[in-house]
Amino acid sequence: MNASFPYRTLSTIALLSSALAAAADELPRTSWGTPSLQGYYTNATIVPLERPVDLGEREFLTEEEAQARLERAMTVTETQPGTEADVHYQFDDYGMARAQNQTVFSHRSSIITSPKNGRLPPATPEALARGQEIRAWRAEHGFDSAKERSLSERCIIWAHEGPPLLPTGYNNHVQIMESKNHIVIMSEMIHDARVIPIRDSAPTAVLPPQWQGSSWGRWEGDTLVIETTGFSGRVTPTGAAAPMAVDAKVVERISRIDAETLKYEFTVNDPTLWEAPWSGDYVMQAVEGPVFEYACHEGNYGLPNNLSGARAIEAKGGKP
Amino acid sequence: MILRLISCAALGLALSTTAHAHHAFSAEFDVESPVEFTGKVTKVELINPHSWIHLAVTKEDGTTENWMIEGGSPNSLFRQGVTKNSIPIGSELKVFGYQARDGATRAVGRTIHFIDGTPLFFGGSAPPNSSGAPER
Repeated sequence: MNASFPYRTLSTIALLSSALAAAADELPRTSWGTPSLQGYYTNATIVPLERPVDLGEREFLTEEEAQARLERAMTVTETQPGTEADVHYQFDDYGMARAQNQTVFSHRSSIITSPKNGRLPPATPEALARGQEIRAWRAEHGFDSAKERSLSERCIIWAHEGPPLLPTGYNNHVQIMESKNHIVIMSEMIHDARVIPIRDSAPTAVLPPQWQGSSWGRWEGDTLVIETTGFSGRVTPTGAAAPMAVDAKVVERISRIDAETLKYEFTVNDPTLWEAPWSGDYVMQAVEGPVFEYACHEGNYGLPNNLSGARAIEAKGGKP
Repeated sequence: MILRLISCAALGLALSTTAHAHHAFSAEFDVESPVEFTGKVTKVELINPHSWIHLAVTKEDGTTENWMIEGGSPNSLFRQGVTKNSIPIGSELKVFGYQARDGATRAVGRTIHFIDGTPLFFGGSAPPNSSGAPER
């Protein structure tokens, strides 16, 4: 890695970690003494979740590779009229293009850090079979009614909201609020708020399954560790073939690097989906607030419009 | 006609995770039904998951049709200071898009300009106060 690369990078941060640790006393802290995580952040990044296969176990790009990736990420290209891809609005008309939003730059070759190849572990045969079953069912019945549409189209949850919380195409803002006994992590899209109790030990009460599971947190030194289980069994996480199991477990670790930067690490363990656990990390950068309310349900004209379109296709003898 | 979209290749690299739109536009709108017209703004809904602009379109026979034009999530616009007042009621817009499959007077706004050619919001370039500077 060439340290002269002009952007703040994850790799640079890793190299500086010991120096940063020495400055721990200077981190913003709450009145009860823990590092303050509160604020508005973005996790928009140009780093892909999975590393390109040809990079093998190489964690960082060269400066030239990083520059090339940056240019590709910032490039807006044209679609051709009359093609399916053209049936869309322009991202840059709405300020949604990558170059129009604060983005964390990095030499990192992937968000995934374990397995060492930076890629998701192999899916289990069970997950692949379940995924095939779901796709076949959706192909046949996906437009039957509103209930058969995806959770995101129904404004219920998007997979990137996690846990683990991952970057997505746009609206990558996150608000963190904290008190001594709770922390709230709210993602801009679809505006879900995870209310996480801070405890000394794992709760014994078994709660009903939740879209984002049931979480509890504890401080390990200056790092907030959050454990989550009790998922709904209906949300297919990013990169998975099928929904995450109810008893899957996600561990997140959030630490403050400096006044404007948080490090977010995570490990996903769902033996029904993947042959092995997988881990990753990225940096969240402070942004100016507020995070605007997403209010997805209220304006979700697209859901009935899609069904109406499907009925029109069927009326012409087609299959949506 | 400017037709822009982040390329699939760029998306794969840039977005790092699933970058699907909120819903499948090709299920809602018909690629075989391109539309192009001008109309006057009657209502602006900068709402999620997608913005909608309502237009009164005068047809050749002198009658008026009301059209709804679908666009992108407005949250990034809000961050750049855009409000629904940025498109005054009565403004004349030129739209190219694709009509709804069910034949309703709805379309996805593939390109939208003011009648003088000015892009609707930022069209084709980062807004002046973009926070996308790499130094961040």
